[in-house]
Amino acid sequence: MGDVVGWLDDYFWAAMVVVRVFAASLVMATLLGLIGSAAKLSKIRIANGIANAYTVVFRGTPEMLVLLIIYFGSAITLTTIAQIFDPEIKFVDIPPFWAGALAIALVVGSYMTETFRGAFLGVDPGQVEAARALGLSNFQTFIYVRTPQMWRLALPNFGNHMLSLMKDTALISVIGLEEIVFVAEMATTVTLKPFTMYFIVALIYLAISTVITLTVAGLEKYANRHLESGR
Amino acid sequence: MSFDIALVFDSIPKMLEGIGLTLELLFLSTSIGLILAVITLLMRISGRRFLAWPAMAYIYVFRGTPILVQIFVIYYGLPQFDLIRESIFWAILREPFGCMVVALSLNAGAYVSEILRGGLLGVDRGLHEAGKALGMSTPQRFIYITTPIAVRLAIPAYSNDFISMLKATALASTVTLLDMTGVARTIVAKTFAPYEIFIAAAMIYMVMTWFIQRGFGLFERRMSRYVKP
Repeated sequence: MGDVVGWLDDYFWAAMVVVRVFAASLVMATLLGLIGSAAKLSKIRIANGIANAYTVVFRGTPEMLVLLIIYFGSAITLTTIAQIFDPEIKFVDIPPFWAGALAIALVVGSYMTETFRGAFLGVDPGQVEAARALGLSNFQTFIYVRTPQMWRLALPNFGNHMLSLMKDTALISVIGLEEIVFVAEMATTVTLKPFTMYFIVALIYLAISTVITLTVAGLEKYANRHLESGR
Repeated sequence: MSFDIALVFDSIPKMLEGIGLTLELLFLSTSIGLILAVITLLMRISGRRFLAWPAMAYIYVFRGTPILVQIFVIYYGLPQFDLIRESIFWAILREPFGCMVVALSLNAGAYVSEILRGGLLGVDRGLHEAGKALGMSTPQRFIYITTPIAVRLAIPAYSNDFISMLKATALASTVTLLDMTGVARTIVAKTFAPYEIFIAAAMIYMVMTWFIQRGFGLFERRMSRYVKP
């Protein structure tokens, strides 16, 4: 255990990086899911087509590949652009934090699109008609009537997507983000105790996913509170 | 920088050299995973605590941690113990391929057992009672009534998991294996054309995903042939 103690604060700060990348990615993924599902349900053909292509592509490609495409692709593009202005520049990249958060958000967002679409379809059509009768615009109906009711139905699946998003953050160590897998790699080269070091990583992830599971259970209870009181 | 379409198509044949390893990983680990899943499921529904608790702990740990971390614990971590290095398992765990199969199988086992349990819970109780009324024994009811219906109910979720497993095989490239993603990464290191090569690889994965979806779609239709007119 003596080997571990010296690395504990590294693990702590790296765990904070995981939490930050998770939060950034979750916001992006949720927005992508909302936009994607709205596009899929809209009557505009082009929007339908784009949203369908988005879900087919990102649900069929490994997260790892998406990450590599976003990171190395953007690096080569940015480097080329930078070299137009200054030929001395060798390498420019998006910080691994944002490249990773975006890549994971794109993949999980495509799953969320499907979840939200299903949940939107589960909202009673009468509610939408009532909103229309009250003179709400399409946009107002979407924000004030459909989304709050869709939310309750989407929560269980949304929780699962949150968990897989959190676990996907481990991949970002591959492009050099200094999160807990990265710390374990460093600690291993010094202490020569790979099992201990990676086991701590597993424990940290287990702790984070337990917190997420409990939070989602709480949220579900909150979202369904009007159903319980009726009984 | 320009996007070289020709390079996309030139690299596809090279990439297909890695497809064998990807498919091997996929089929080995889904088969072993399925066996593990059934064992875990039987342990969970056995109603005996000393069987159910280890099963639940196994599911909790393997669903709560990233596959990448599981692979690293097994590949980099286990050789820390002399006990492992002297055991008969060392022949498997010495190779990155063996470690990858072990990690993916254990992961699949945890997820699939939950999927199968979902299917089991969806089976109508009335059918069970009907079987009882017909004088079928408990094992008979489980084999002839519960299992076929549970399998049908579990297919959509299982096909999703199968696709996740395909995507997880891409992690093999992190432990030096030359699966499709591994081959793509070596080509990128040589040509430095990440867009063309990685997009070509992504296209192959998408085709494979499509085939898996079609395959399970057909299987599901066959299993539900008595449900729909």
